[in-house]
Amino acid sequence: MKTGISRLAKYAAIAAAVVTASWSGVSGAAQDVEVGLIAPMSGPWARQGEVMKLAADLAIERINAEGGIRSLGGAKLKLSVFDTGDTVEKAKNAAQRMVANAPDLVVATGAYLSSFTLAVTEVTERAKLPVVTFSYSDLITSRGFRYVFQTSATGDQQAEGSLPAIMEMAQKASGKRPKKIGIVMDNTAASFAFVKPIKDHQLKKLGLKLVVDEVFTPPLSNATPLVQRVRSARPDVLFLLPTAISDAKLLLEKMNEFGLGKGRLPTISNGAAILDPDLRANMDVAQLEGVMSVVADWTTAAQKDFIADVKRKTQQPWPTQHFVTTYGDMWIFKAALEAAGKADREAVAKALREMDIEGGPAVYYPGNGRLRFDANGRREGASLMIVQWQNGIPVTVFPAKDAVAAPIWPRH
Amino acid sequence: MRSPGSVRRLGFIAAFALVYALVTAFAENSYYQLILTVVPVWAVMGLAWNLFSGYSGLVSFGHAAFFGLGAYFVALAQIEWNLSPWLGIPCAGIVGGLAGLIIGLPTFRLRGHYFALAMLAYPLALLYVFEWLGYQELALPMVREHAARYMQFADHRLYAWIALALAVATMLVADRIERSRFGKSLVAIKQDEAAAEAAGIRTLEWKLRAIVLSGAVAGIAGGFYAVVLLVVTPAAVFGMLVSAQALIVTMFGGVGTLWGPVLGAVVLVPLSELLQANLGNVVPGIQGVVYGIAIIAVILLAPEGVFWKFKDILDRRRAPAAHADIVTSAGTPQTDQRPPRPEPGPTLLDVRHVSKSFGGLQAIRDVSLQVRSGEILGIIGPNGAGKTTLFNLLNGFIRPDSGSILLDGREVSGRRPYALCASGIGRTFQVVKPFRRMTVLDNVIVGAYVRARSDEEAQTLAMTALEAVGLQHAIGKLAGVLTNRELRLLELARALAGNPRILLLDETLAGLGATEVEDVTQVVRRLADRGITIVIIEHTMQAMVRLVDRFVVLDGGAVLTDGTPAEVTRDPAVVDAYLGKRWRTASA
Repeated sequence: MKTGISRLAKYAAIAAAVVTASWSGVSGAAQDVEVGLIAPMSGPWARQGEVMKLAADLAIERINAEGGIRSLGGAKLKLSVFDTGDTVEKAKNAAQRMVANAPDLVVATGAYLSSFTLAVTEVTERAKLPVVTFSYSDLITSRGFRYVFQTSATGDQQAEGSLPAIMEMAQKASGKRPKKIGIVMDNTAASFAFVKPIKDHQLKKLGLKLVVDEVFTPPLSNATPLVQRVRSARPDVLFLLPTAISDAKLLLEKMNEFGLGKGRLPTISNGAAILDPDLRANMDVAQLEGVMSVVADWTTAAQKDFIADVKRKTQQPWPTQHFVTTYGDMWIFKAALEAAGKADREAVAKALREMDIEGGPAVYYPGNGRLRFDANGRREGASLMIVQWQNGIPVTVFPAKDAVAAPIWPRH
Repeated sequence: MRSPGSVRRLGFIAAFALVYALVTAFAENSYYQLILTVVPVWAVMGLAWNLFSGYSGLVSFGHAAFFGLGAYFVALAQIEWNLSPWLGIPCAGIVGGLAGLIIGLPTFRLRGHYFALAMLAYPLALLYVFEWLGYQELALPMVREHAARYMQFADHRLYAWIALALAVATMLVADRIERSRFGKSLVAIKQDEAAAEAAGIRTLEWKLRAIVLSGAVAGIAGGFYAVVLLVVTPAAVFGMLVSAQALIVTMFGGVGTLWGPVLGAVVLVPLSELLQANLGNVVPGIQGVVYGIAIIAVILLAPEGVFWKFKDILDRRRAPAAHADIVTSAGTPQTDQRPPRPEPGPTLLDVRHVSKSFGGLQAIRDVSLQVRSGEILGIIGPNGAGKTTLFNLLNGFIRPDSGSILLDGREVSGRRPYALCASGIGRTFQVVKPFRRMTVLDNVIVGAYVRARSDEEAQTLAMTALEAVGLQHAIGKLAGVLTNRELRLLELARALAGNPRILLLDETLAGLGATEVEDVTQVVRRLADRGITIVIIEHTMQAMVRLVDRFVVLDGGAVLTDGTPAEVTRDPAVVDAYLGKRWRTASA
C-alpha cells in the first residue's frame, strides 16, 4: 500500500509534468496575454464548464485570427482553465491556485454557480485580479469589491422584472391580459428567490389571482397530482420552475398528456435548464413547443453569423446562455486590454471600471446596447430575456428589439 | 502523571507541530499556504469524529451538523453583530457542544445502524432549514482596516499556523482522553456496550460527554473553516461531503487513535488537491476516480487504517520470536482433593419468586434462591433452562416481570447494570468479551473504574486483580493475542477489579482443555477463599462437583432442586433432567 501511494504520487507528478510541459510549449511566444476561465470542469456541472470552454476557445480563435490585441502589438490571447470541481472548497482552492501559480494572468471569467463565484472572488479581490462573471447572485456585487464585474441581470432584478415583462408580452401577442396565474416549483433556492417578489407584491399590484401554488422536492417521481391541480384550476399563465432537467421532462410530458402542452397553457420557467439541448435529446420535440423561460442572456437577431459559427465549429445545436456570455466575455477582455495598453491586472481592472462601449461586445448582453459597469461592478441596464421553444429550437422572443421570432401566445 | 510514555507521546506531537510550522514558514506560494491551512482543519474534523465515533464505536454520519452550525454561527455573528471570529470561533465550540447534547439525548436511544442513519438525518435537515431561512449564500464581510482583529490576514501563513494550533490543541485533548477513564470507558463501550455496562460504566453519560466534546471540536473546526473559505453555503458546510471527509481521513489514517485523523488529513487532502490541480483540466473527473481507488486500496490492505497497519508491522519486527506463551504460573499443585471450605455466612443475595417471559416463552418461572456470603454456588441445568436469563436478571440487563431481588436485604431489581456493578455484583460472559485492541492492563482498568476515584487507584486495583488471577506477566499484551485460557482469566480479572462481593461467572470453563479447566478452577477457588461469593453456571460437571459448595438445578425456567454436590448428583430427577444415564450408574 505504501508503494501504491508512492506510485500514485509518481503518476500524479508525471501528469503534472506533462501538463506543465504542454502549457509552456504553447506559451512559446513571449507576448501572449494569459486570460483565465475558472469553472466546473469536473463533477455534476462539468457539462456547463465544457460549454464555457468551447465558447472561450471559439472567441479567442476569432480574436487572434483578427490580429489579436492591437495596442499590444498584435499580442495573442491565451486561455488558462482552472477547474472549480464540485464544492465551494475546491472552487476556492482553484482560485488560490489561479492567483498563485499563474502570475501572468490578467483577467478571468467564471465560475458558473453563484456560490463558487462568491468564493472565487473573495480570493481574486485580495489578489487584485479582475473577474467578469455571469452568476446571478446579488451578493456578488454588494460586498464593496472593486475587482468583480457582473454582466448578468442579478437574481433580484430578474425576479422583479419577469412578471411585468410577461404581462407586456402577453398583451402584445394576444391582446388580452392574463388574470389568473399558477406556480409549480421545486424547493431550490433559485426557485424560491424567483417567486418571492411575485408573491410579495406583484400579484396585488398587477391585479392577478394566484390559483395554483405547488412546491415539490426534486427529484419528482410522479407529476400527475401536480398537473391535475393545474388543469382543474385553469390559470392563464403557469410558472413552471424545475431546476433539474429530469423534472422538467416529467412535468412537460404530463402536461402534454393532460392537453395543456404545446403552448395551450402559456408556460414560463426560469433559467436555462428547460432550454437545454439535453432536454430535446430526451423527449418528443413537439411537446416542448411554446414553453418559455426567463434568462439573463441568449442569442439575438444581430448574432446570426455567430450562431452559424457556433453550429459549424462546436457541434453545439445552439449557443446557450453560458456560451453566449463566455464568448462575449472574451471580447470584453479584448476591449479592456486594448484600452489598458498593457498586460497588467491593475490596468485591465481600471479599463473595465472605465469601460463605456456602445455596440461591439455589448451585443452579447441584453440591455440598453451599452457596456458600462457601475461602482459596484454591475452592468448598467442589464435586463432579462424571454426565450421560447419554437420548432424545436429555443429562440429569443423578448425584448422585441433582440427577438429572433415573435412570441407564440394562444388566443382563447 | 508524567510517565516516560507520555513524554514520548507529547514529544511526537511537539515534533510534528514544529516540522509543520517550519514547512509553513517556508511556503511562499499562497496556494500552498491555503492547502497547509486546510489540512489541519480536516485533521481537527477527523479528530472530532474520532473522539466520538472512533472511541465509542457509534458511527456518526452526521458530524457536518456540528461543523455547519459552527461555520454559520461565525459567519452570521460577524455579519449581524460584527463579532470578530476571534470570539466567534470559541462560541462556535459552545454551539457545537450544545448541538451535541440536543442531538445525543434522543438519538442514543437508537443503536447500531439505526443510530448511524439517524445521525445522517441531522445535517440534511439543517441544510434545508438554513436554505429555508434564506442563508443560501453568506460571505464574511471583508474588513479593510484592522483586518487582523477580524482574523483577516494578508499573510496566509498565519491561517495555517492558527489551524495547526487548533489541531495540536485537539491532539492534546485527544491524547488526554485516550489515556483517561473517559477514553477507556468509550473504548469499552465500543468493544461491547453490554460488557461495559456490566463492568460498571455509565454508558449513556459517557456517550453524551463524548458527543458534546466532539460536537464542540467540530463546531470550532467549522467556525475556522468559515473564516478560511469566507463563503458559507448550506451545501459546503452541511453537505454529505463534510461528514464523509471526516470519516474518510480517520478511516484512512486509523480509527480510535489520535494519529489516525492527522495522518489521513496530511496524506489525503494534498493528494486530492494535487489530483484536482493536475488532472482536473486534462481528463475531467479522473481525479475523483483515482482518489476513490486510493482509498479503496488502503481500506482493502489496511482495513483498520494506515496507523494500525504500521503499528502491527513495527510490533512484529520488534518481537520477531514467536509468542511463547508463558507457562501458567498459578503455582498451585493440581489435586483432586477438595480442600476444606469455610462455613458460608448470612444471605447476601435473596431472589424471591422471580418470573420473566419473552413473549409467549416463560424463561424464568417463580424462581427463588438464596446466595449466602462466601459460598460457591453452582447453577446447572440443561440448555434453555434459563441459567443465563437468571444472570441477566441478577445483573440488571433485563427486569423481572414479577418477584424481587434483594441484595443485603435491599430491593435491587430493575436497577441499571452499572448501578448493580457499583453495589457489588460483577459478572463474566459465556462468550468472552475482551476489549481486543486494548492491553490486558487497560482491559482490567476499565473494570476498576466503578470502584476507583482516580486513574492511579484504578491501576492499583487492576494490578491486584491481575495478580489474583495470575496474569501479571501479560499486562502489556493486547487482548486480541491472548489464548483462550488467558482470555477467561482476563475476564475474571476485569470483574474482580471492581471489588465485587458477588461474582457471577457464566460458563467460565467453556472451551478449555482439561488442564486449563483445572487451572481456572484453582483461580476461582482462590477468589472464594478470599471471601468473594461466587455464583457459577457451568456444564463441566466433573469440575463443578469439585468446585462448588452447593448446586441449584434449573429446568424449564424453574428450580428443580438444590443441595450439596453429593445430594444433587444422586437425585433421580436431576439425573433424568440433566445429568443422564452415566451419572445414574456412577451413583448407583
